[in-house]
Amino acid sequence: MNWARPCTVFWFPERVVVPNRKEYPWYHRSYNRVPTIDQCYTDDPVCFFEANEQWIRDRQVDREIVNILRQRWRDCAFYEGVDAPVKCVELQKISEDAETNFFIKYGDLSAYANVKDCYMKQKHRMLWERRHGPVGTGMKTEQ
Amino acid sequence: MTVLSVLRAVAGPARLAITHNSQQVAKMSDHRAMNIIPSRFQWNKFKDMLHLYFVGAAIPLLAGIGITNMMVGPATLSEIPEGYVPREDEYYKSPITRFLVRNFTRNEQMEYEKKMQYIWETEHKRQLRLIEKRVKKLMAERGDYKAWYYTPHIARKYQRIVRKETEELMERRPAA
Repeated sequence: MNWARPCTVFWFPERVVVPNRKEYPWYHRSYNRVPTIDQCYTDDPVCFFEANEQWIRDRQVDREIVNILRQRWRDCAFYEGVDAPVKCVELQKISEDAETNFFIKYGDLSAYANVKDCYMKQKHRMLWERRHGPVGTGMKTEQ
Repeated sequence: MTVLSVLRAVAGPARLAITHNSQQVAKMSDHRAMNIIPSRFQWNKFKDMLHLYFVGAAIPLLAGIGITNMMVGPATLSEIPEGYVPREDEYYKSPITRFLVRNFTRNEQMEYEKKMQYIWETEHKRQLRLIEKRVKKLMAERGDYKAWYYTPHIARKYQRIVRKETEELMERRPAA
C-alpha cells in the first residue's frame, strides 16, 4: 500500500479528524485483593460476600485465559492445516492442560455456584485423594 | 414492483376515462370535478412514516454520534498513575458512555459497599431475633418467667393440677 497517495477511506480520519481531537485516557478497573473464603469465619456474611465477588472475578479471568490459550492452538492449527497434529503439539498440550485445571477447579459446579461450593469441591477432592490415591487411579474397594 | 407499474399504466387512461364519464354523467355545476382514482393512502402513509423515522430519529442520532466521534473521539487506554483514583466515568472508552455514567448512572463502588452494609445490618437483626426466639422458647417450656406465657397465681394451682393429670394420662396412654 502506498501511503504517499491519500487513500480516501483513511485520509480523512488520519489527516483531518484525529489531529483536531484531544487525547484523554481511560483505565481498566483494578480491584484490591480481599480475604478468600478459607480466611472467613462461618458466621461472617460480609466476608463471604466479598470472597464470592472476588471468586466470580477470578473465574472470569480464568475463563478468558483458557480461551486465549485455546485460540492460540486454533490459530496454529488453522495456519498449518494438514500439518497441525505435528506442528502444534506444544500449543495443544498447553491448552489442554489449562482446560483440565480449569475443570478441576470450576467444573461440574452448577450455574448458581458460589465460592463455598467451589471450596467444598476442593475439600471433597482432597478427601477422596486421601482415601483412594490420585484422581484418575480408580476407587479402592473395601478390603 | 412490476405489478404496481402495470397498474399505473392501466390506471392512467382509466383515470381520465372515469373523469370524463363522471363529468358527463353527474353534470357538475361547478368547473371542479371529483377525480376517482385508486387509493394512494398506503403510499402516502409509508412516505410519512419513513420521513418521521429518518428525519426525526435516525439522522439526528447518527449525526450526533458521528459528530461526537469526530470532534471528541474515543479515549486511549493507559495505566493508572501512582496514587491517583480515577473518576467513575474514566473507566469507559466512548465519550457518550462517559457522559451517561457521569450524569445518570450509580457509582459501582458505592453500590457494592451499600450492599455490604445491608448484609451486615440484616445479619445483626437476624442474630438478635434468633436470641429472642430461643428465650421465648425456654420461657414457654419452663414457665418460670413473667414476660411471656404468664398466668396469675390463682390459675397457677389449676395449671399445676392440669399438668399433673396430663402427665399421668400420657403415662397411661403414650400414643395419644
